[in-house]
Amino acid sequence: MEEVLRIEDLHKSFADLAVLKGIDLAVNRGETIVILGASGSGKSTLLRCVNFMEIPSSGRIVMNGRAVGRAVDGKQTYSEKELTRLRARVGMVFQHFNLFPHMTARENVMEGPRTVLKLDPAECARRADTYLDKVGLAWKADAHPSELSGGQQQRIAIARALAMEPEVMLFDEATSALDPELVGEVLGTMKELADEGMTMLIVTHELGFAYTVADRVLFLSEGRILEQGTPAEVLTYPTQEGTKNFLRGHGSFRLPEPQLD
Amino acid sequence: MGYEWDFTVVLRDFDLLLLGLLNTLKVTGLALLFGVPLGLTLALLRLYGNWLVRIPVGLVIEFLRSTPPIAQLFWFFFALPILVGVEMDPFKASVLTFSLQSSAFFAEVFRGGIVSIDRGQWDAAKALGMSRNETLQRIILPQAVKRMIPAFLERAIELMKTTTLVGTISYADLLYEANSIAQSSYRTLEVFTVAAAMYFVVIFACSVAVQLLEARLTRPDESARH
Repeated sequence: MEEVLRIEDLHKSFADLAVLKGIDLAVNRGETIVILGASGSGKSTLLRCVNFMEIPSSGRIVMNGRAVGRAVDGKQTYSEKELTRLRARVGMVFQHFNLFPHMTARENVMEGPRTVLKLDPAECARRADTYLDKVGLAWKADAHPSELSGGQQQRIAIARALAMEPEVMLFDEATSALDPELVGEVLGTMKELADEGMTMLIVTHELGFAYTVADRVLFLSEGRILEQGTPAEVLTYPTQEGTKNFLRGHGSFRLPEPQLD
Repeated sequence: MGYEWDFTVVLRDFDLLLLGLLNTLKVTGLALLFGVPLGLTLALLRLYGNWLVRIPVGLVIEFLRSTPPIAQLFWFFFALPILVGVEMDPFKASVLTFSLQSSAFFAEVFRGGIVSIDRGQWDAAKALGMSRNETLQRIILPQAVKRMIPAFLERAIELMKTTTLVGTISYADLLYEANSIAQSSYRTLEVFTVAAAMYFVVIFACSVAVQLLEARLTRPDESARH
């Protein structure tokens, strides 16, 4: 298996607060990894360190076998130019979509190819068509974000990230801000991507999704990986007390399989 | 009250008033032309410069905002030529003063507009690989400028009214002409009524135009989230 991304001994502190306390993780091409954990466990910070939205306090990120930044006196230092280049290769989807409200759906999707990749207009248009179609919203191409439902906005945001044709996609609680009836369409889009072999790191609270879609599930607790394995290993037969408690909290109210016919 | 209104004097010298109005518009227009870009520059320096830039720029802005414009005008007209030996005529001094004075206010309007944009917009642009300048140009300023239109209009109106001070250094703006016609004709009431009406017409027309523009610009896309 080909390794795309490796995180080595990653630490991140905000002022005096240590959020990540040594994360090691190797991600293979095409792998879908779901990251679980209580709030404050460092899940989002971990994602945001992968594409350097936050600069790690120590440790290294290795993309395609090459460490990001240069080691100076045993510490990685980064140039802003290198980081913008790296971010262009990693897609990110946010909890609150963060679409650009002054642009149409189509312009949102074209913005990265146009401004960052500086592709010619024909190629930008081709990518816009391709990825709007992929998320099933070609028919909303000329709508502004305010004219779209939350689920549609998030799918446009996914198309916007995909239009960069990234090597890794990061999803930071992509369905947490959505009304329950809109969650499904976004998870559906994410599952399709996983099936097509996109490499994905997903922070979510949707355990059912994690169980069905993930190749590997990580459970984060207090800035460390407490437990990891296949969905069945972590979600069905957890070994750590922290994981068990988390799953107990989530499993308190269960619905029997609804009969929908 | 048996005052007899007589506008004949005003009508006879109406071309002088029009010339004055033209001069008022010239100073206001040039002050806007220089003041707005300078204001944007000051705002960006104040927001994103290192502290060596930020602190002096902040001081200059605060100084320009908190000293009377007439004092600034006198300073540039009377004091600056003595200090640096440049020739100053009333027109140059007026344009210089009001460009700088309004740039300080526009800087604060720009700054307010920029910081009002949701952090998520910066995040999204950054995650795409956009640089700070690209983000400002493509994402932040287009949204900020729309939000700034009312404050911007307010400042521009204020600016035009403040330019009436240029008469004090004998620049023949509308108010200056009105004053001289009033003094020679003794028809103070008529002359200033007409002058005020002329200010009103211009400012009101601009105000309506800007509001139409604003309605047009903000139609489809405000409040995108949720």
